[in-house]
Amino acid sequence: MNWIVGFIILIIKLGVVLVGLLLLAAYLVLVERKFLARLQIRYGPNRAGKFGLLQPFADTIKMLTKEDIVPAEADRVIFLLAPAVVAIEALLIFAVVPFGASITLLGKKIPMVITDLNVGLLYVFALASLGVYGVALGGWASNSKYSLLGGIRGAAQMISYELSLGLSLVPIVMLARSFSLVDIVRAQADYPFILVQPISFIIFLISAVAETKRIPFDLPEAENELGAGYHTEYSGMRFGLFFLGEYVNLQVLGALVAVFFLGGWHGPLLPPVVWFLLKVLAVAVAMIWVRGTLPRLRYDQLMHLGWKVLVPVALLNIVVTGAFLLI
Amino acid sequence: MKAAWEGIVAIATGFATTLKHLFRKPITEEYPEYKRVLPERARAVIILTRDPDGEERCVACYLCSAACPVSCISMQSVEREDGRRYARWFRINFGRCIYCGLCEEACPTSAIQLTPYFETCERDILKLVYEKEDLLVDHGGKDKEYNFYRYAGVVSKVGDKGAHIKEDKPVNIKSNMP
Amino acid sequence: MPKIIIDDREIEVPEGTKVIEAAEQLGIMIPRFCYHPALGSVGACRVCAVKFLEGPFKGVQMSCMIDAKDGMIVSTNDEEAVEFRRNIIEWLMLNHPHDCPVCDEGGHCLLQDMTVSGGHGMRRYLGLKRTYRDQYLGPLVQHEMNRCIHCYRCSRFYQEFAGYFDLGVMQSANRTYFGRFKDGILESPFTGNLSDICPTGVYTDRPSRFFGRRWDYQRSPSLCINCSLGCHTTVSARYRQVVRQEARYSEAVNGYFICDRGRHGFHYARTETRPWQALIEGREVPTEGAVRAARERLAEIVSSGGPRSVACLGSGRSSLETQAMLGQLCQKKGWQGPSYFMDKSLTGKAKTAVSRLDPELAVSLRELEGSDAIVVVGADPINEAPMLALAMRQAQRRGGKIAVIDPRPIFLPFDFNHLPVRLDEINLYLSALVKAAVDPELIVDAGKDAIEFYQEAPSLEIVAASLQEKASILAQELRAGQRVVIVCGTQIVRETTPALAADHAKFLRAAKKQAGLFYLLPQANSFGAALLASSEVSFLEIIQGVEKGEIKGLIVAENDPFYSFHDRQRLELAIEKLDLLVVLDCIESTAVKKANVFLPTSTLYEAGGIFINQEGRVQAAPRAYLGGISIAQIGGGDHPPRVYGSDIPGGELRAAYQFLSQIGNGDQIEDDDPTRRSLLRWIADNIPPLAEIPPFDELSENGMRISSSNDTSPQFAVNWQEEKEKGKGSEGPLEIILTDWTFGTEELSSFSPPLMKLERKPYASMHTDDAARLGLGHGDKAKIKLDEGNLEVDVCIEENMASGVVILPRHRLLEWQKIKSLPKFVRFEEIEKVSG
Repeated sequence: MNWIVGFIILIIKLGVVLVGLLLLAAYLVLVERKFLARLQIRYGPNRAGKFGLLQPFADTIKMLTKEDIVPAEADRVIFLLAPAVVAIEALLIFAVVPFGASITLLGKKIPMVITDLNVGLLYVFALASLGVYGVALGGWASNSKYSLLGGIRGAAQMISYELSLGLSLVPIVMLARSFSLVDIVRAQADYPFILVQPISFIIFLISAVAETKRIPFDLPEAENELGAGYHTEYSGMRFGLFFLGEYVNLQVLGALVAVFFLGGWHGPLLPPVVWFLLKVLAVAVAMIWVRGTLPRLRYDQLMHLGWKVLVPVALLNIVVTGAFLLI
Repeated sequence: MKAAWEGIVAIATGFATTLKHLFRKPITEEYPEYKRVLPERARAVIILTRDPDGEERCVACYLCSAACPVSCISMQSVEREDGRRYARWFRINFGRCIYCGLCEEACPTSAIQLTPYFETCERDILKLVYEKEDLLVDHGGKDKEYNFYRYAGVVSKVGDKGAHIKEDKPVNIKSNMP
Repeated sequence: MPKIIIDDREIEVPEGTKVIEAAEQLGIMIPRFCYHPALGSVGACRVCAVKFLEGPFKGVQMSCMIDAKDGMIVSTNDEEAVEFRRNIIEWLMLNHPHDCPVCDEGGHCLLQDMTVSGGHGMRRYLGLKRTYRDQYLGPLVQHEMNRCIHCYRCSRFYQEFAGYFDLGVMQSANRTYFGRFKDGILESPFTGNLSDICPTGVYTDRPSRFFGRRWDYQRSPSLCINCSLGCHTTVSARYRQVVRQEARYSEAVNGYFICDRGRHGFHYARTETRPWQALIEGREVPTEGAVRAARERLAEIVSSGGPRSVACLGSGRSSLETQAMLGQLCQKKGWQGPSYFMDKSLTGKAKTAVSRLDPELAVSLRELEGSDAIVVVGADPINEAPMLALAMRQAQRRGGKIAVIDPRPIFLPFDFNHLPVRLDEINLYLSALVKAAVDPELIVDAGKDAIEFYQEAPSLEIVAASLQEKASILAQELRAGQRVVIVCGTQIVRETTPALAADHAKFLRAAKKQAGLFYLLPQANSFGAALLASSEVSFLEIIQGVEKGEIKGLIVAENDPFYSFHDRQRLELAIEKLDLLVVLDCIESTAVKKANVFLPTSTLYEAGGIFINQEGRVQAAPRAYLGGISIAQIGGGDHPPRVYGSDIPGGELRAAYQFLSQIGNGDQIEDDDPTRRSLLRWIADNIPPLAEIPPFDELSENGMRISSSNDTSPQFAVNWQEEKEKGKGSEGPLEIILTDWTFGTEELSSFSPPLMKLERKPYASMHTDDAARLGLGHGDKAKIKLDEGNLEVDVCIEENMASGVVILPRHRLLEWQKIKSLPKFVRFEEIEKVSG
């Protein structure tokens, strides 16, 4: 009996998270467009509904109704699968992200996380690495020069930055003494880790932006060089899935930053979930601001930054943190 | 170290600039509500003008269609009874036109001109194919004075041989007088 | 061989080569207006100035006036020369009107190109521009003298090259004028070339006036099929309609020029009355249905009457593909034919001309220009093949002597001697002339046959007293000539003449002269027709078969027997007896109207094709455009219809051979290539002379001359007794000779509206003596009693023609097809005056 209730609760949680994520992704697009527009002294979309609020629906309808073109020479199966890989990978990460402290409903304690894995962090890394497949396969299967170049760039970039991404979190694990994301948040009950690990924070932030292939690290889809990079040949909802993946990834980024450095759901006055969402949103908005300000890196600059700056600094940070903890 | 500092300052300045922009009033002009008056020489819908005598200026010389980079102009030239050359039909496919203005530059008679009017949206693309009756207007456009046939030296109602601008009387080929 | 250095590059050229030509061989195009390879140099325009750095001349000189000499070092881009040329252009432009937008030359104007490339953009001259009044020069050429830069190309071509004198130079200095003394139609049939050679827009093509610009045209190399010479042309099409045809340079055939018939003879492909729709019993049907109907009804006829109850008629104006497809069908199916000629006599003459054309003897039109004596036998160059006259004019300009033996009143644009004799006398006169021209000592070792031939041939004694003097002069001229060419017609001559002409050419060879032979054939591809024609069946035999009820079905491919068969009444009765008449054609003809099943075919311009000209030169013309009803026609002159879609109206046309293949073999043709390829293989396998030539698509620019001669040994077999017998008795009835005119008789070009304006009204020519005997005066209307009714026609009395003949043009406006059999003689009583 108990497991049935647990199962129902799980399904409900999954549903809520999924719908929330998708809705948020859609509106994040609008937020990005609006905010970016204002950074560039424009209005942004303001025709569909009041303040353009219906724009995401208009976009979705457009994407769904557009023709789904598969290039004649493309590797059909992989071409069709690649966007799904990207979207699913991004969504799956949220399985371990805690949205708040446990709540008690009808006398039952319900954790505000889909599943509290004790190796949650490794799970996050594992899935983040899988994201490469979507990009690389999509780029390869299109059988187009631009796509292929985009895919290769994406793979190289993601593999490079995964390293510093992982290394930057080692101090956090050392501090929290757990791989579980819930435990990491709990460890920040008093103060967020950003205060003790600013260097980790910066490295993580930079690496995470690179992982999500956002400006200034959008080399895999650099419009002015590669058309649209790995998704040049995609159209309709398949392109939409890439797009969705990107914005879910933006939320992942926000959520992870919130969990690892900003104290997760912790905060005064407001309910924990609201705090969590605010933090996620804050990170997202910061990312958009970055996009509105910084130009794209050159490929050599990208590699230089990843291998010669971030990785050594992250290693040094681990040593220093370890030393402190020992002392 | 200095370079790093400068880099940080540069990035920070960038963020500050974009942040400032956030609070400025957008400079966007919102089109259907606000319509800006375009300059006279703005390039949009093409017209065929008339000379000061009220005659069609176009002599269907095919230079515009040759200059057109997207091949959106086609026509058929014929001879009028009085010897004037004109376009029997003249078609511009605005579905294809890129409003580059090369036709206007190529036109030796100031006939084809671009106007600032641009609101020509249609749902049926065939409606964007303009025929001569859609293009021909009753004025001289930007160039009010020019009349090609006053200079051309070919016989028409505008002038006989020797009656055009800067022309001498026709040579009498049967006279031996110097 | 002088060596000359031009722009630091050395070239060795033959003595007498002009510097401008030497530069051209190096690929350096020195600007030119007055210089033209065919017309030579006059140094009138001064724009070919180059700087001579070393050698016999120094400084800026005209490159067209100076022969290349050893040690010359020439710079074409020396600053001084460039400056000189720039100034010349500016001077030439002083009086040039500001009318490029309304000038038809604009876009392919040499002056425009030079002005733009020379950088002359703004007029600095402040004075008044000189103007001229223009003239009406006929329906083909538009005159606009203001544009003239006085290069003299027109008058040099018109007078020196072509030999006509009604257009030339008047006035002097700044008032120099090129035109006629007064307005009027130009007399020459080569006027179209004026618009080709004029470096600016003084002469432009009038029928295509204001139609478009050259850059918009689909231009393609093509062939002229309005006579048997096969001149090269460039055809321009636009908006699915042929606009213009220009001369295309050909080293072997026509050189730089073509005649007006060829230039304007393309209108059959664009007339509004051209049939576009397949018909069954006059009803419009889809093409596929008509093909099926033809196939099924033919099968019915064959199943009831056997394969011999179907016959095929082709023509000499079809491509070799179509002719061969008929041949293939007849071979495969056992049908009768194919026949391409109206009667056996014509078949025989054409076959003789083809089989006796020894490759050693055959000369091309260009080689003909180099001959120093030409004997024309039974041919009227200016009327039958105008470019032949132009080539002969060149031979005459170089000192060649020309003799014409022909009953017709011959006009040629140069000095020549005409022996007007009756058809029966032609053989005798030819022999007598040739015999007198040969030095007996030279033929001693020529072989027994040749000596016998010489001894038996009639001598100048047979020549009529009135022509004695002329004949002896001619004989002397021929005797002096070393490169003698015999030009022989095949239209009006007796059946023995073509073979005799070949014999005489052989004989001249034997007498150590460089003799050549040049036949004229009736139509563009009569050579191909003669190669393929069955010698037993001509159209006359087919008619007989129909009358006997043996033939029930007739396929007519691109021929109109109602136009060319001499007995229309009999033809109509025969056609009525037929169960099935299938007609394939691209022109509106009587046969099309009478057809049970009609299939519209595409023209040369729409399908391309292979043609073999009269000297056995195989030439291929590619397709120029896709075909279909022109935009001008579907739009009624107004803009094209406002509809979506990529279908071509009238696009269901196919080449005649494709339809024939569908009818005969039941193929479904989607792509024309397989049919054509298998057809070409069949041609190579079945026509021995064509076996060795390369794939047709790889034919070179000048085509390839085939050797069609089966037996190159001279036959020297003439029954002189019979000939002499025939030659006697000039008091007999008058012979009707049906002949061609430059304009108005050729089937395809008679659809051309501009040429219609040049056609003369049909008239019968008669010798003064005969006319006097009949009491006819010049311009009288006479009634000639033919077998099936009377023919009323104006009479033209000529001095320079044979007596005892009446010359009738096969004019499209003259109903001459009332003759039971050819040759046709009328008694004097059968001609009477109708009105004065």
